[in-house]
Amino acid sequence: MDLKTMLMAISLAFGTLVYADRPDFNDKEAPQTLGDFREIQSALQSHLERTRSATVCLQMGGGSGSAVIISKDGLVLTAAHVTGKVDEEIKVIMEDGREFTGRSLGLNSETDSAMLQIEGVGPFPFVEVDLKDSTKLGDWVFSLGHSGGFDKARGVNVRVGRLVREAETTVQSDCMLIGGDSGGPLFNMAGELVAIHSRVGASREESMHVPIREFKAHWDELKSGKFIGDGGFAQKSEPGSGFLGVATEEADKGGLKVTELWEGAVADKAGLKIGDIIIEIGGEEATKDLMADKLAGLGVGDKLRIKWISGGETKEETIKLGERP
Amino acid sequence: MKVITLLLVFLQPLAANSLPSEKRKNGPLVQDALSSVQVSLQKSSAVFYSNKTSKAFLYGTVVSDDGLIMTKASEIEEVESYYVRVGTKKFRNPVVVSRNDIWDVMMIKIEAGGLTPVDFSQPKELSHGTWVVSNGATERRFRRPRAGIISANKREIPGGSLAVLGVGLKEENGDLSVGNITEGSGAAKAGLKKGDSILKIDGADIKDRDGLIAYLKEKSPGEKISLTLKRGEEEMTLEVELMARHKLYGQGKTRNDQLSGGEAQQSARRTGFPMILQHETMLNRNTVGGPVFTLDNQFVGMNIAAVNRVEAFAIPGKELHQIVLELKKSP
Repeated sequence: MDLKTMLMAISLAFGTLVYADRPDFNDKEAPQTLGDFREIQSALQSHLERTRSATVCLQMGGGSGSAVIISKDGLVLTAAHVTGKVDEEIKVIMEDGREFTGRSLGLNSETDSAMLQIEGVGPFPFVEVDLKDSTKLGDWVFSLGHSGGFDKARGVNVRVGRLVREAETTVQSDCMLIGGDSGGPLFNMAGELVAIHSRVGASREESMHVPIREFKAHWDELKSGKFIGDGGFAQKSEPGSGFLGVATEEADKGGLKVTELWEGAVADKAGLKIGDIIIEIGGEEATKDLMADKLAGLGVGDKLRIKWISGGETKEETIKLGERP
Repeated sequence: MKVITLLLVFLQPLAANSLPSEKRKNGPLVQDALSSVQVSLQKSSAVFYSNKTSKAFLYGTVVSDDGLIMTKASEIEEVESYYVRVGTKKFRNPVVVSRNDIWDVMMIKIEAGGLTPVDFSQPKELSHGTWVVSNGATERRFRRPRAGIISANKREIPGGSLAVLGVGLKEENGDLSVGNITEGSGAAKAGLKKGDSILKIDGADIKDRDGLIAYLKEKSPGEKISLTLKRGEEEMTLEVELMARHKLYGQGKTRNDQLSGGEAQQSARRTGFPMILQHETMLNRNTVGGPVFTLDNQFVGMNIAAVNRVEAFAIPGKELHQIVLELKKSP
């Protein structure tokens, strides 16, 4: 770096100090007086009611994580390793115990970001998001979450700390985290959402979060339900592993006739009967080849839309594929 | 309900964009600003040292000027003999005055005068986010302050009966019988056998599981009860010593307990308290027992459990005051 660029960098750094609502304590090496501690406390407390009410517990498949609502119509940010899948039904629990149904939208398996939509009638309590990326290394932050799972008597668990390390797709704080906090929110002292809890280090003082800039970088893909990347935070189901639980043969007048049905498998549960005629698979005319092709590309938990005729009546269901017995 | 596991990762230090450790929440620069609260901690904390290893293993809270100290019972009884420091003074031969197992506290007396007890006169309700200060690590003459905030609702922590027989119980056709027997329990030592029918406890008829559990709830670990049993055609009465639940069964088994450092970090007993304040100060099993102050030097409670990676419990000042008054009265 030459001198000119360095001076430029320094002047840019000073530029950040002129944010109007940026509290002084963020630019001190450490609190110097009890007054500094009190300022941190009153900033944090002024945002707690709103941020707590928007911090939710997510429950699915026997697991529990956290998340935060960012719009009054119920858009939620969380971690990819919490939702795990796209288009999955997930129970959403507010701090006061009210329950809603949510559906996971997209996720990024490389960086651990994910979105979810609450399918209830709003308005929901929500938080502001630090879209300007104004939170800097050393800033005081606070962390919320349903640590260890939902506990109505305890409520949302609050922790305080500083941003201690920055990288493009991960920020680290010394707010302590534990299982169940995953997907929960990290806020700056203006009460804006800065990042989402992702993972922890060996020491209690090492907590890793996904910054909002990472969500911003993939906003539309996440919102439209895309499964991004091939990383370790979520795995796509293995193609061909999904099981419908029917055997069919091509019927004389077109379509596929159900000849066998596995008791308790997803087709049975959806109401298919032996002798029914499947006429459409995924919106296309049903053939033996199409059925084989579709199933070869789908895994456990993936969905398949099926239209069939049963006793003269046409039925249609979106069936979620199960596991092979 | 299983909790979503946080992946444990090992970090590459990245000096350029990382905050030096002295400026972090638990770093020395942050501690320095707490020096006025440190004075209160220094005066009203006791430190317990093992006579065998000379290592500090627990804190205490000074509750009278003539040397009464409260501490965590289940931790202090793990160490055979110990001495105490208050401020810079060393006190040999501390004496156990009394204990309360429901709250897991012990009252200890040292031969001292002119101490500065904590002030119970200003009970204060603390809202979430309020800074509180506890003892961190200790050096011979100096207690390091460590700060955290009130992190959750004040509440009861349920925990089941403290004293256990160490058996599973089966209820069939109006008959209460012994199931699996835990190795090393009072029941095993007394010779109970799987399948024994339980007829009476301490001479009184016991009809069902709930009745037995309710009876045990009133008992303390170490007490003995007599069980009248029917084994085959034979009737017999056995004396069984009750054991502390946390000793017989332990508590650290979940993934979150592993994340929390297990036995080295967590208090062995961390459930079953009638009322607690929860805060997020980074404590471990050796730094509980001491007082908790606000930034204004108001005493608000005594640390009673390092629960896990994110939670510490303190007995609120008001409740601790009641316990102290009762223990002073008891013989």
